[in-house]
Amino acid sequence: MKPGVLGTALLAAACTVLTGCVTATVDEMVFNEPTEGIGDSTVVILGRRHASDYETEPDFIQCVGKRIASRDRSIEVIGELDFINALYPWFEPRTAPLRPQDIDRLLLHEPVAQKMAALRTEYMIWIDGSTVRTDSAGSMTCGIGPGGAGCFGFGTWNNDSNYEATIWDFTDRAEVGRINTTASGQSYMPAVVVPIPIIAPVQGTACDSIGDQLLEFLSSEF
Amino acid sequence: MTSAPDRLYRQVTAAIVLLVLLAGCGPSTVVVKGSFPPPLLDPLPLRLGVWYDEAFAGHEFFDEAKSRRESDWLVRTGEAQVQMWDTLLGGMFEELVHMKARPGPGQMTQLVDAVLVPHVDELQYAIPTHTNVKVYEIWMRYRFELLTTGGDTIADWTMTAYGKTPTAFLQSDEAAVNLAAVVALRDAGANFATNFTRVPEVREWLERRSTSGKEAEP
Repeated sequence: MKPGVLGTALLAAACTVLTGCVTATVDEMVFNEPTEGIGDSTVVILGRRHASDYETEPDFIQCVGKRIASRDRSIEVIGELDFINALYPWFEPRTAPLRPQDIDRLLLHEPVAQKMAALRTEYMIWIDGSTVRTDSAGSMTCGIGPGGAGCFGFGTWNNDSNYEATIWDFTDRAEVGRINTTASGQSYMPAVVVPIPIIAPVQGTACDSIGDQLLEFLSSEF
Repeated sequence: MTSAPDRLYRQVTAAIVLLVLLAGCGPSTVVVKGSFPPPLLDPLPLRLGVWYDEAFAGHEFFDEAKSRRESDWLVRTGEAQVQMWDTLLGGMFEELVHMKARPGPGQMTQLVDAVLVPHVDELQYAIPTHTNVKVYEIWMRYRFELLTTGGDTIADWTMTAYGKTPTAFLQSDEAAVNLAAVVALRDAGANFATNFTRVPEVREWLERRSTSGKEAEP
């Protein structure tokens, strides 16, 4: 094996090993699961942005969409921004429907009804939640001098994710399922000259958990 | 002894270092930039004129630092305001006309049904260093005048808009304030589009127009 390839392999192995541990829990409540998947219809995943002190992260919504689309290529997931831009101003935080019954009110507007028909949206999934840093400890000092630069110390922090996905059936104007996922994990950063981050992929684990659970709902293959 | 090119090189280097240091002393400047989608609405059957005065089209907000640890902030929203309102009003009304002057008594203006004059009365912002909450926020209060071509007031009302964005890894304060301002502008558009016909004076004016239109029919 060439030294360059060996170095890359070792770095990749180190990155794989140097991740913190994450604990995740998923709760599911399904009222009306489609037996044959969603067929030719599309699904849209949207983040709730009503709370004053947090926002459902757009990159988390994107991650869940990618997870679903990558594991079942027959499912078409419409991008969040594409959807809310196409239906502006009806899905802004101020105007977005809060209950499935509000869809009827929305469809009274002819251009909205036409756009929804063109998009073939069968399921609308609302995700509400966020990832927060709950605890941090330790200290680190970094310095720079004529001989070079370096850091010394140790830091640790805890991240908690809590997300709830609510699935709306667009045709029946009804809520058909609810999935809740929580994940938590501790990250570390020891530094002896060079800081070595050992990051717990808390948000990524929550994304995979909720994505996999949604696949069981949306896909005929799972 | 140093040669002339050496001296010139040192002077240029010193000037660059000084400029870099001075640049750090200036205010944090945000020229708001974003893209705004057209509204998905049935256009109102009106030929609406719009007049952006200088204060609106060049709107900027300056906030002086309250302590040494904070920096001054300059948020320029004018360009984005005009871009957003042009897109919104263009989709909300059958025809949008940019007025050459504010309508007034004896003033020659284009022939339109009414003229909208928007104003930004107030803008407030908050960044995590102010609030200890990991959210960047922009709040705006607008005032709208709906005028006849003769300059008489049909309606005068205020409206608020709010935008926020969470902190993100590797996102600068400036980028986050820009994003919050874009969200606030989108919110302003959504608020205006969904509530314009609910403003009591506007509703009455539209009803009067509708009634007089029906009476004029043979």
